Amino acid sequence: MNSNPLIKTMSEEFADYLRDESRTVGQAESISFPKTPEELTDILKSLAAQGAAVTVQGGRTGLAAAAVPKAGHILNLTRMNQVTGLRRDEAGRFYVRTQPGMILSQLRKMLESRKFPAEQVEAWDDGSKAVLTELARAPEQFFSPDPTESSATIGGMIACNASGARSYLYGPVRPYITMLKIALIDGDTITVTRGTQRTQGRRLCLTTDSGRQICCDLPTYIMPHTKNASGYYIEDDMDVIDVFIGSDGTLGVIYEAELALLPLPQIIWGVSCFFANEDQAVQMVKAVRQELRQIAAIEFFDRDALAILRRQREESTAFSGLPAVPDGVDSAIYLEIHDEKEEDAYQRLFAVGRLMESVGGDRNHSWVARTAADRDRLVFFRHAVPESVNMLIDQRKKVEPTITKLGTDMSVPDRELERIMAMYRRMLSERGLQSAIWGHIGNNHLHVNILPRSAADQAAGKELYKEWAAQVSAMGGAVSAEHGVGKLKAPFLEIMYGSDHLAEMARLKKAFDPDFRLGRDNLFAAARFAGEGDQQ
Amino acid sequence: MNIIVCVKQVPSTNEVRLDPETHTIIRDGRQSVINPFDTYGLEEAVQIKERLGGKVTVLSMGIPATERLLRDAMSRGADEGVLLTDRAFAGADTLATSYALSLGVKQIGDYDLIICGKMAVDGDTAQIGPELAETLGLPHIADVKKILSVDETSLTCLKITDEGEQELQVPLPALITVLKDINMPRLPSITGVEFSLTAPCTCFSAQQLEADTGRTGLNGSPTQVVRTFTPERGGEAQEIAGSLEEQAAKILEIIKG
Amino acid sequence: MSGLVIDKQKCIGCGLCVAACPASALTLADDVAQVEQAACVLCGMCVDSCPEGAIAIVKESTGDTRDYHGVWVFAEQNQGRPLPVAFELTAKGRQLADELSAPLTVLLAGGPGVAKEAQSLIAAGADRVLVGEDPKLAVNLEENYAVWLDQVVREGKPEILLFGATGFGRSLAPKLAARWQTGLTADCTVLEIHKESGLLYQTRPAFGGNLMATIYTPSHRPQMATVRPGVMPYPVLDESRRGEILSQPFPQDFQALVRLLQQRRIQAETIADAELIVAVGRGIGNAKNVALARQLAEKLGAALGCTRPLVDTGWCEYKHQVGQTGCAVAPKVYLALGISGAIQHLAGIAGAQTVIAVNSDPEAPIFAQAQYKIVGDCLDVLKALLAQV
Repeated sequence: MNSNPLIKTMSEEFADYLRDESRTVGQAESISFPKTPEELTDILKSLAAQGAAVTVQGGRTGLAAAAVPKAGHILNLTRMNQVTGLRRDEAGRFYVRTQPGMILSQLRKMLESRKFPAEQVEAWDDGSKAVLTELARAPEQFFSPDPTESSATIGGMIACNASGARSYLYGPVRPYITMLKIALIDGDTITVTRGTQRTQGRRLCLTTDSGRQICCDLPTYIMPHTKNASGYYIEDDMDVIDVFIGSDGTLGVIYEAELALLPLPQIIWGVSCFFANEDQAVQMVKAVRQELRQIAAIEFFDRDALAILRRQREESTAFSGLPAVPDGVDSAIYLEIHDEKEEDAYQRLFAVGRLMESVGGDRNHSWVARTAADRDRLVFFRHAVPESVNMLIDQRKKVEPTITKLGTDMSVPDRELERIMAMYRRMLSERGLQSAIWGHIGNNHLHVNILPRSAADQAAGKELYKEWAAQVSAMGGAVSAEHGVGKLKAPFLEIMYGSDHLAEMARLKKAFDPDFRLGRDNLFAAARFAGEGDQQ
Repeated sequence: MNIIVCVKQVPSTNEVRLDPETHTIIRDGRQSVINPFDTYGLEEAVQIKERLGGKVTVLSMGIPATERLLRDAMSRGADEGVLLTDRAFAGADTLATSYALSLGVKQIGDYDLIICGKMAVDGDTAQIGPELAETLGLPHIADVKKILSVDETSLTCLKITDEGEQELQVPLPALITVLKDINMPRLPSITGVEFSLTAPCTCFSAQQLEADTGRTGLNGSPTQVVRTFTPERGGEAQEIAGSLEEQAAKILEIIKG
Repeated sequence: MSGLVIDKQKCIGCGLCVAACPASALTLADDVAQVEQAACVLCGMCVDSCPEGAIAIVKESTGDTRDYHGVWVFAEQNQGRPLPVAFELTAKGRQLADELSAPLTVLLAGGPGVAKEAQSLIAAGADRVLVGEDPKLAVNLEENYAVWLDQVVREGKPEILLFGATGFGRSLAPKLAARWQTGLTADCTVLEIHKESGLLYQTRPAFGGNLMATIYTPSHRPQMATVRPGVMPYPVLDESRRGEILSQPFPQDFQALVRLLQQRRIQAETIADAELIVAVGRGIGNAKNVALARQLAEKLGAALGCTRPLVDTGWCEYKHQVGQTGCAVAPKVYLALGISGAIQHLAGIAGAQTVIAVNSDPEAPIFAQAQYKIVGDCLDVLKALLAQV
């Protein structure tokens, strides 16, 4: 049936591609690994003839199952991983163009060393080659989004508008994407460049590379004023490129992107502050937000997360390199200071010490990372938390196969921080559920991870999750702040926006993908809307 | 128990950056850190001090900016810093460096134990420890993985060798070089950072140390660098061809070296 | 004069050295680099940065080297048997000695009975073997060896003295270099005699292998180097070779300060220390095939490694997992069977010296990190290997 040699029939060899970091497993009939835009469009055209559903995949590090196929074809873009060029604008800002399969950690390595694979540079235009020399001589540049899993691909990060800890200061992926090349489900392509095309109010019109015009009305909802990766980004008179960023692989296949870079701050210091109780930690967050500038990240780890880390450090060789958490502490706040001058950074660091004392903490209970090696250790510490929780869940899964990780990704406005913390604590304790809470508390964006011990816990956790979605929406928050909606959070998107707005989103999708073949069941269940609305 | 820890300033990364046009090395000379191996020596010294009392002095030879790294060490538990800085020390190889360090050790005076990292990550020579010990007329034990017991008169430790391990005892004063496995270095606290900014750190010139300048720096270095170059990296993987039997035989040949 | 010297003829005024200088000692004047000697710290960064090779650190020669003659090799032994590196160095020493038209002397020290190995070193190329036989030399203690070596080297005055860059060699050689106040170059991978000067040019990696440096010792003797084991070719032994074997006694009154209380021989137990790893990934197919890989590992004396999915599915235990969330390994050879090479896995094998990858997918990322590759079914290769070991 697959006459196109690029399309391979699924076999045991490809079993890994049925799952992602959300640990859900799907099914598919075929898979492909295009290496060039030509191969990609060729594959899409073959699939169009078959009418197959298409699920786009990157690094499969997503937590919302957006890359897990329901059926049909897996379009894996990890081998489209080239840097395709560089640019510098009049203001001196650098931009890098990459294919979607570029892995974040590899991009970082290239930017840090200013070394790009010679065979890729060979293929660049002369302008890019000239900029490479400028980049090599310029202060180090960086791409600011920092999702926990640095093996994420650039394409995946754009698809879910990823963030990370530093988005407290720098914002999510969105503002740093200045150009996208997108293949549509039928193999046609479009190029959108930031600052060149806006919608008319909520009416979107654009022309594909083959000259076809696509027009549609955008949804009418007002987005929450919080960190948000829930559904399409929609505003009046918006930049057209923003419709595609964070669209969860439902509108088109990104095959090239231009990313804006920032000069790396001269000083990046990490500070972990430990507290005897959670209330002190929350008061610390409020104080830091009020008193200190140039803080790039404000992260939180609760007592359960610290307890899991303490245990891992004892039990597993892979984690024996973790620094030991001081005895008698219960919660931790991690701060990152980004500064240009050392004097300023010291002032801020000592201010952190004073704020710790002012909320009842002890500044001896802190870790200051001023060197790359120390920063790496704090990064390791932060990343060890989700890794450890995954390992714990995997263990439990062996006993009770229905158990999965239940991790939230919701954000609320600043004013609601204490209320939402109290709510999480109260409801978890009412249901008697085990949990670990960590995340981007600076944006009131916590990952509450329910750790089910039984099938009953699992069910109770799911129920609780749904209740929180309603509460968070009522507070003016978002049901997904950075992971995207994918398949797992689709029910919460409906809670957040309601079914009418969901239908509007489906209508937008339909304008680009009339048969609902792309990213099926991401954002909303395709079956509900496939027949509705009219393409214009 | 007074301990001297020798630390070296090294570049923060071992990545060598090339200018794409000229293919020459670009190094950010300003980005430097304490040699990672030395941080394990420092932690070991601080742990011994916390058990037995006494003081930890960090000693380095380098440009004046190295003071910043000595202060970093003091944020992690060292009490004092001593920096040997002089143009007469510049261009030193390991022999000239160990001579200068030996003068620093004599300047500090009252000590029971000297700890060095196994080696520096930039030079990878692992020679400073043994050369410094010999210059001071002290015994040394290299590649220490664990200190089993220590007091002011002797030290018993486990040393990793190519064949296994040795349990060794040495009377103090002596010098040891330590491996990365020996401990888990601490991160400084805000309090530690505050202490380090005003902690005592003394600089000594060659003259103050009454150094024989025929034995320091470039003049005192028997070895000289003729040239440096970046190595060619092996490109594509080589295909092992042939029948399955031939392929297996070739694999076994590679494995057996 | 000593210090930094800029060849004004070669300088093209590009300014890269000015940018590279951490001490702000370099400036450009009339499109030529200038150095302020008082500010220069002789760090050598400008030397590396100059595209024209116009900058050098020079110093005046001092010292008398005329009395020193001949190439000497220290042959380290373990339990009375010379290590492979001893033979490698003897062969290399032979070549250097021939270029200098000088004799090759090998030093063999150890416990009683070690002398019987002297002939094998002659077979490897030595003209003469000096043997130190004493119970105190039966174990590797630097002080004892230093006393014996000090005695024979002061008498014999070699111009070149080579050690294996083993753990012991790298601890003993610097002790002696400091005693003799001469130059020592660590962990060399290339040794050559410079034609014009007759000096030993020693090339070694620095900066974790990212930079190579060629070093010499112009005016101190002996010129000393430790040489990385396994780099120089192992010689074909010529048992018909004849040479001199001389006994050099250990000074009886010497008492070392460092005392050996115990010693243990230990084979690497965790995969982190393993020298050889047979690793399997998804491509191995099923748990039964993993058992075959385990069998191969056992027969080869190798450790078994695996990827994360194999631990997730329960085919392997966690202690075998290599990669970001498992164990980082640094074996001499890493045989990757059916491993596609996820980035998290590749992060864990960055320290491997040689990677042999077998995978059916020609595009598998593992091949980019491999030195040898087979595109094919890893199970077939595994079975072929089992048939041969």
